[in-house]
Amino acid sequence: MIETAGLTKRYGDKRGITDVALTVEEGEVFGFLGPNGSGKTTTIRVLMALLRADRGSARIAGMDCWQQSVPIKRLTGYVPGEPSLDPNLTGGQILEYFAHLRGGVDQGYLKQLVKRLDLDTSRKFRQYSTGNKRKVVLIQAFMHRPRVLILDEPTNGLDPLNQQEFDHMVKEVRDEGRTVFLSSHVLSEVERNCTRVGIIRTGELVRVGGIHELKDIKRYEITIVFTDSVPPKAFDGLEGVAHVDALPDGRSIRLAIQGSADAVIKAAAQHRVISLTSHEPSLEDIFLRYYQADGRAPETEHVA
Amino acid sequence: MWLSNIFFKTLRDFRVAIVGWGIGTGLLVYIVLASFASLVTTPQARASLVTLAHGFSWLAQPIAVDTPGGYATFKYGPVILLMAIWALSTGGRIIRGEEERGSMDVLLSLPEGRTRVALQKLAAVWLALLGMGLLIALLVFAGGRTAHASFTFIDSLLFGLNLALVSAVFAGIALLLSQFTRERGSASGLTGGLLLVSIVLDMVHRVIPNAEWVSRLSPVYYYNLSRPLVPGYGTNGGAMLGLLTVSLLLSGAAVWLFARRDVGGTVRLPAWLRLSRAAERREPMLPANDWSLRSVYWRSLAMILGATSWWTLGIAGFAAWMVVVVKQTESQLASIYQSSPALKGFLSTLSGTNAISNAAILSALFAFVPVALMAFTVIQANRWSADEEEGRLELLLATPQPRLRVMAARFAALTTSTIFIAVVTMIATLAASVLSGVRLDGGNVAAASLSMIPLALLIAALGYAFSGWFKTAFDTGLLTFLLAMWFFISFLGPDLKWPDASLRVSPFYYYGTPLLHGLAVEGTVGILAAAVLALAVGTFRFARKDIAV
Repeated sequence: MIETAGLTKRYGDKRGITDVALTVEEGEVFGFLGPNGSGKTTTIRVLMALLRADRGSARIAGMDCWQQSVPIKRLTGYVPGEPSLDPNLTGGQILEYFAHLRGGVDQGYLKQLVKRLDLDTSRKFRQYSTGNKRKVVLIQAFMHRPRVLILDEPTNGLDPLNQQEFDHMVKEVRDEGRTVFLSSHVLSEVERNCTRVGIIRTGELVRVGGIHELKDIKRYEITIVFTDSVPPKAFDGLEGVAHVDALPDGRSIRLAIQGSADAVIKAAAQHRVISLTSHEPSLEDIFLRYYQADGRAPETEHVA
Repeated sequence: MWLSNIFFKTLRDFRVAIVGWGIGTGLLVYIVLASFASLVTTPQARASLVTLAHGFSWLAQPIAVDTPGGYATFKYGPVILLMAIWALSTGGRIIRGEEERGSMDVLLSLPEGRTRVALQKLAAVWLALLGMGLLIALLVFAGGRTAHASFTFIDSLLFGLNLALVSAVFAGIALLLSQFTRERGSASGLTGGLLLVSIVLDMVHRVIPNAEWVSRLSPVYYYNLSRPLVPGYGTNGGAMLGLLTVSLLLSGAAVWLFARRDVGGTVRLPAWLRLSRAAERREPMLPANDWSLRSVYWRSLAMILGATSWWTLGIAGFAAWMVVVVKQTESQLASIYQSSPALKGFLSTLSGTNAISNAAILSALFAFVPVALMAFTVIQANRWSADEEEGRLELLLATPQPRLRVMAARFAALTTSTIFIAVVTMIATLAASVLSGVRLDGGNVAAASLSMIPLALLIAALGYAFSGWFKTAFDTGLLTFLLAMWFFISFLGPDLKWPDASLRVSPFYYYGTPLLHGLAVEGTVGILAAAVLALAVGTFRFARKDIAV
């Protein structure tokens, strides 16, 4: 459904994207992961014919994204990264305006979306909070039941309840065999919704694969606070432990874990533990550790 | 240094405006002073100038107009107050604009009190106005030297200071109003209206006897009490101090209110001033049948409906008023003809017969009408450019609307508004001529009104084309510069004895004097063709460019 090959875009002498090549099948929910400024939005804006590629090709449903942008947009729903709309229109007016520009939509479905995301459509766009602005653009992207949804960080600013509703909406789209291209820098969001992912860094696609492939790059941190001082070497070399640090208070240890934490938990149980906290590192951390620290050149890995 | 605190950062933001407005306004006066000698080459010409100026005393008080300083002060009259537009627009923006963008939240997260933040911004506005005043003073003094005027450098400085002070009053009004409005545009728009009202109030005492008390309500009246460039008139220290005091009071009240209200909210009005809940307009949940949402064209038209209404009122009202004024000054004109053979000869050459001398005077006044219409389209072209730059076209262009259609629809809406304003101006002029008894050729009035349309569309099309390459601020600056340049080429070029080839650079040359001589067909078609060409270039560029980069 979406195909790019050698897609390159530069902003004068500044980097945009270089040789991005990816394929998204019909009915697939494809996650497009990358840290801030990695080139996700540039790729998406080229797909939406808002930017003209310097080199390479981008096609949606077999049509060229630049040459045949109008028929492509009939098939597409789009959520931009930074929604900007007429501040003096109400949410309801914006939705009806875009409905008209799309040649009309099912009003019943539109009302249903408004209700599901709990949007007050009588307020002006400028009066909306960030989350409510996001709801308006989400509804306008979904309301005409497009074959392809191109979503650039669509849940930014949404509260957990609405994020959950968004996940349901994406699931329904997937169940109906429609395609979603979802850009995000939140690993867990991509894990929840996507079947395949592409990872972009400094404008280059460094990895494309199934969602399970994420696990080998996913690393999380555990901080354990003991009653007494425990030497870091007690955890060195344990299965799944990538890195161990002793914290300045002398009683805490921070571990970077990749894979199972079973060995760490068992080792910790040998001592008196006050607390144990685990958190997911940011995608930026992952990229820094996996793709910069070891100095490995980022070549695209396509994993089946 | 420029980013070391809020004051310097704000001042840095104003650097282009200080230079642009300071030099621009200063040059206006410089050109008039430099061209003064060519206007009074003979005693008859000097006498004609004095008599003619008295015919327009309603507009600006003519004092010593046969001197360079007196003539420059009279010539610009209220026009010089254009500088207050920057002041009021900035006054509306410095606090409310930051709130609209959301950047005020960040500013107020710094360890600085609200009052201190607001005062730093305000101080930057005042210093910017003083900077503009200084640049104006330097150019006025230079112009005075060229014209061998009698005023001193101190007089020039006082002229610049007086202008800065009256502008500061309007900045203060806008700043105060912005505490009560949710948008900076509303505060600036209201203050713009008050500026216009102030100018009219100041005129009242010159037209209606014993009505000076009405004019005293206007800040412009106190500005006009000081005329440092007019020999023997001098400066009214009390009036200048009064302007400073009012400006300080208004700004102080605004800062006091800002320190006490919610950021992003407005000052709570007394209950009797608030709309009742029943009176508040409630938008239907999903207004599927709203006419203004049916297409890009209708939406674009709805967007400029308010502006179109106000500009129509202003432009058509001005044209009709001119007709009435010409009728009222008819007897004065008759005596001018008797006392000034040179002027009589000049008008007879222009009009052919004495019988249409009213039309000749009206034609001269009517020259301002296309300039006003072009100013309207410059603002609308700026809006197109701003919409693209601020990302408001992104979602629109993600719908199955070709770029060509989106741009054409926006331009078509602007064309509709322009035609509407021109047609209403024509009707108002004709109605005023019938009601006041001024005999005007209906065909010529139609030609004068309708041939403004290509002029207005030309500058709008240039704005659309420039927006393909330039940022909004530069685009608007370029258009404003072009408009000012064309105006001065056409209206001061002949005084300066510029060659015909130079005068042809301005589109006003091709507009001609349709109120006297009917439609300049070739010129109008030429301007229209230039507008179409500029639009074609703009469209070609827009269809191929990266959006919002």
